[in-house]
Amino acid sequence: MTPALLRLLLWREWRHHPWRHATALLAVALGVALAWSVHLINQSALAEFSAAVRAANGDADLSLRGAAVPEALFEQVAQDAAVTLASPVLEIDTLLKRPDGRRVAVRVIGLDLLRAAPLAPELLPRLRQGEDRLAGFDPDAAFANAAALAALGSAEPGPLELQSGPATVRLRHAGSVAAGGTPVLVMDLAGAQGHFGALGRLTRIDLRLAPGTDAAAWARRLALPEGVRVATPGADEQRVSNLSRAYRVNLTVLALVALFVGAFLVFSVVSLGVAQRAPALALLGVLGLSAAQRRGLVLAECAALGAAGGLLGLLAGTAMAAAALRWMAGDLGGGYFPGIAPRLQVGPLGVAVFGALGLVSALVGGWWPARQAEQLAPAQALKGLGTGLGAAPPAWPGLALVAAGALAALAPPVAGLPLAAYAAVALLLVGGVALIPATVHALLARWPRPQGALALLALQRARHQRATATAAVAGVVASLALSVAITVMVASFRDGVARWLDTVLPADLYARTAASSASADQAWLPPGYAASAAAVPGVLRVEPARVQPVVLDENRPAVVLVARPLGDPAAVLPLLAAPLPAPEGAVGVFVSEALVSLYGAAPGRPFVMPVAGTPRTLWVRGVWRDYARQFGTVVMDAADFRRLGGDDRVNDLALWLAPGAAAADVQQALREALRGTADPGLLEFASSAELRQLSLRIFDRSFAVTHYLQAVAITIGLVGIAASLSAQVLARRKEFGLLAHLGLVRGDIVRLVATEALAWVSAGVLMGLALGVAISLVLVFVVNPQSFHWTMDLVLPWARLAALALAVLAAGVATAALTARNAARAPAVRAVREDW
Amino acid sequence: MNPARRAWLARLAGLGALAPRAAAASTVAAGDDIPRRGRVLRFPRDHGAHPGCRTEWWYVTGWLGTEAQPTGGFQVTFFRTRTGLAQGHPSRFAARQLLFAHAAVTTLGPDGGRHAHDQRIVRWSGDPAAPLAAAALDTARVNIGDWRLVLEGAGDGRRWTSRIAARDFTLELDMTRTQPLLLQGDAGFSRKGPDEAQASHYVTDPQLAVRARIALEGRSGPEAVGRAWMDHEWSESLLHRQAVGWDWIGINLFDGGALTAFELRRADGSALWAGGSHRAAGAATRAFEPGAVRFEAVRRWRSPATGVSWPVQWRVSTPAGRHEVRALADAQELESRASTGALYWEGLAELVDEAGRRVGLGYLELTGYGGALRL
Repeated sequence: MTPALLRLLLWREWRHHPWRHATALLAVALGVALAWSVHLINQSALAEFSAAVRAANGDADLSLRGAAVPEALFEQVAQDAAVTLASPVLEIDTLLKRPDGRRVAVRVIGLDLLRAAPLAPELLPRLRQGEDRLAGFDPDAAFANAAALAALGSAEPGPLELQSGPATVRLRHAGSVAAGGTPVLVMDLAGAQGHFGALGRLTRIDLRLAPGTDAAAWARRLALPEGVRVATPGADEQRVSNLSRAYRVNLTVLALVALFVGAFLVFSVVSLGVAQRAPALALLGVLGLSAAQRRGLVLAECAALGAAGGLLGLLAGTAMAAAALRWMAGDLGGGYFPGIAPRLQVGPLGVAVFGALGLVSALVGGWWPARQAEQLAPAQALKGLGTGLGAAPPAWPGLALVAAGALAALAPPVAGLPLAAYAAVALLLVGGVALIPATVHALLARWPRPQGALALLALQRARHQRATATAAVAGVVASLALSVAITVMVASFRDGVARWLDTVLPADLYARTAASSASADQAWLPPGYAASAAAVPGVLRVEPARVQPVVLDENRPAVVLVARPLGDPAAVLPLLAAPLPAPEGAVGVFVSEALVSLYGAAPGRPFVMPVAGTPRTLWVRGVWRDYARQFGTVVMDAADFRRLGGDDRVNDLALWLAPGAAAADVQQALREALRGTADPGLLEFASSAELRQLSLRIFDRSFAVTHYLQAVAITIGLVGIAASLSAQVLARRKEFGLLAHLGLVRGDIVRLVATEALAWVSAGVLMGLALGVAISLVLVFVVNPQSFHWTMDLVLPWARLAALALAVLAAGVATAALTARNAARAPAVRAVREDW
Repeated sequence: MNPARRAWLARLAGLGALAPRAAAASTVAAGDDIPRRGRVLRFPRDHGAHPGCRTEWWYVTGWLGTEAQPTGGFQVTFFRTRTGLAQGHPSRFAARQLLFAHAAVTTLGPDGGRHAHDQRIVRWSGDPAAPLAAAALDTARVNIGDWRLVLEGAGDGRRWTSRIAARDFTLELDMTRTQPLLLQGDAGFSRKGPDEAQASHYVTDPQLAVRARIALEGRSGPEAVGRAWMDHEWSESLLHRQAVGWDWIGINLFDGGALTAFELRRADGSALWAGGSHRAAGAATRAFEPGAVRFEAVRRWRSPATGVSWPVQWRVSTPAGRHEVRALADAQELESRASTGALYWEGLAELVDEAGRRVGLGYLELTGYGGALRL
């Protein structure tokens, strides 16, 4: 076939049905755009975050890290023959007071500027006008980065007020640093040590080694003190990447779902095209176009559609990503990349891959119609016969796919990601679609024989043309299944979170010192404060908690250690099972689910982790659900914590109020009780209702994108019904003509088609529901625990699912009726006469 | 040697704002570290650091080879500056002092020779026992990592040793005293400007018999001998406000004498202050009055790297006679503005008498030519 002929054929077809093809093209474009923009946003945010991390960490060959790296170790390694440069660093996560009194998390980086200069040029001070040149060595001066200045709302702020335990540290703002990312203050190392109670202590030693030194071997030779780890420069970036990876993959998979549904639309549209052009294709066949060439023609058409859709999708996706980065944070509501404003980063590989996705999805969608064109019997088709869609395919491939999907769902995660589970979802979807004819037959076979001729006609046709049903309702089944699955998953999760909030927020009022556990070590209340708080009028009971971040694995975010009174663990923690009694002499703890999946903790087993800097063997009494902290929480009784050398500082207070006590008065009194020992502004209050509301709002925001995807999926499913019914109505023009001759009026024919559609769409909706629930099981019980390390109970929101199903049913039938009405407009005479 | 020089380097390095801090520093300083006329210098104690004063350096230069055919030279300077910051701070990292060092080697040869230099800068808490970088208080013993300059031997010391492992070269020096110490100015109290406050304690150890081993570009050279010169100077207040830079020479004369001369220049190039001394072998030191020393540039060399024009040949008149100072290599510029902040010219030079005979070898130092400096 010559390209010229191909162009002519395609061009004619597209010009005659611009809207139909535009819809298919848009569906592909939408899928590509969604997937591409999600990828772009994640990539850009991650790149930006990595750059910020690199800027703050500098260009070291190796780092020694720990919560308390002794100064002596620095002096030792600095004199090592293999070390050409050693830079001591103290990082303090604390809070910076804004002019409005609110506090923002800030990282203070204490540096020896002279040693850090070659490693971390972006942390070098740029002096403010009029500052002394030695300000970089001044223990009372600090240099803010752009994010910190933005938080302060001024390029030339006054004194910087920082939290140091219960006290406030005032530093002179002496200039700026270039480092991007989250708020950072750079200051002299000695100053940071002195102001933040860290004398004698570092958190990091950055090293550059002599050329040719085997860093790993060198590090092994070091006799590192307890609690000091060797970290390679990529570790922080890796951790950030790991932190958000499951979330990013999840979003990408959701976006790919849109593309998957887009492929269905291509299938529907091209099937319609093939059905319509059957006589034309047959004529071409008679004129010498071989079967393979006919298939090639259809596939070329799909390829053109896919390429155009892919291109459009790339453009639209780039625009969407740019808009999202401009107007929203770079984390799509996930909260993983706080405080950064990434620039769009488009790579050629990404363009190629996501552009190709459009092409591939279109080719996949067009594969079956292309086979139809290939298998066309020209002579039959020319007579207007044999354009039926053939015999129903056997049921076993579908069954096999579903079975394979069920098996895949049982597989463990791959590289920390639920890849097998995602494959299971895909297998279930494809298997479900493949089972459509068999299921339609099974469902309709039991239907009682209707009385009216029209209904009988419709039912019989729906039963016997069940292969055709695949084309018509595949989109409905797929899109409804996905919508149902997402709805069930989100509902289960939300219900879990809501119930969890009831358990973890038993008190009336909560007071906390730090919004994040990272800064908890720098923002705490004086040890005796819990007692003073209990004495405040209107306060019935006070429960203090100490929160400490503990790094268990260099490549993972810190685990949070919570020390609080644990009278009856089952009452105060949402435990998965009844607590086990701790053996004599052992310190019992409760771990969140993440510790089980990430660190291998298990109930009734010992678990080793550092407490107050010393590794301790703890005994796991039970596992609890913690939806607040994805990377693990260990809860220990406050008394045990103190016995193991922990301090008696307080980060959080849970307060039970006397009936009738005014929360505002109590808050005021609690702040007053703090006066003298700490800045009263240190306390942030929230009622349990506020916390609950806030938590659920954050939850809903995180899942906002899923509603959008559902809407897209359903729309594509409906367009699919319209396209495939149009195709069939066209193919059945002669049948309708005959029926008209037999006395059926146009309304009857429309009713006939609508009834048939009703039968099919009903079957499709039932299948979609069943398939959706099956997929939701995979999402709830496999994807979520493997991605985020938390489990939840399945909640089926029947009312919402029923509404969804009915809406799809109604929309499907209405679409079918509308399509039939349009198709039936052609005079019956012409339809019959078409037998040329 | 002119104390203003190092202060200027300190300024360049962004390391010192002298005037505003002088008062504060002097109140905290250990009283006896501040230069004053009439103070009796005691050794080896006064070879050690005087952390109570603002600025201090130990400076060693030398030439190698024979008088007729020198093969090269070296310069090693350890510099200390008091920051005036973090005085009572409990941290070991408190930046009460900064230490920095410059080292350079020059080789002469038919191929045009080579010039290489390197520098280090670190903070110092003032603890003489600090392991990474420190200056001893009881004798001269200063190090920045493995770069060190040490006065060894009993009593007031016999031998200076230094080892510098720089980026492009390694330098090992062993310098034995052949003469008594030379106290510059008034028994070691050396005026640096029109006001009595602009002064330093200035001790010179000239005519040191040096044995040196230099490895340049990875190739270790043979042991070389020659003559070296050591200056130790400490001061609280250095440059007069009109001074923009200075020119200085320290020459080991072949007859065993030692000639020092310096001038501080105004922006217009005129001399603001001058000084120096001459000590003939075995004789007493003769200090020069400010009006008795005159520098006159003869030839300039423009650095291709920085574009700065350095006067590398001078006519120098002192009460010890009229001489010409000629750089033995033009390219002895030290450009380390990116690290310690300094840009100056410091190079091996010969001293030629009016008859055109070479009578001594030593070092010429030029500062303040890379643009007018305001201190």
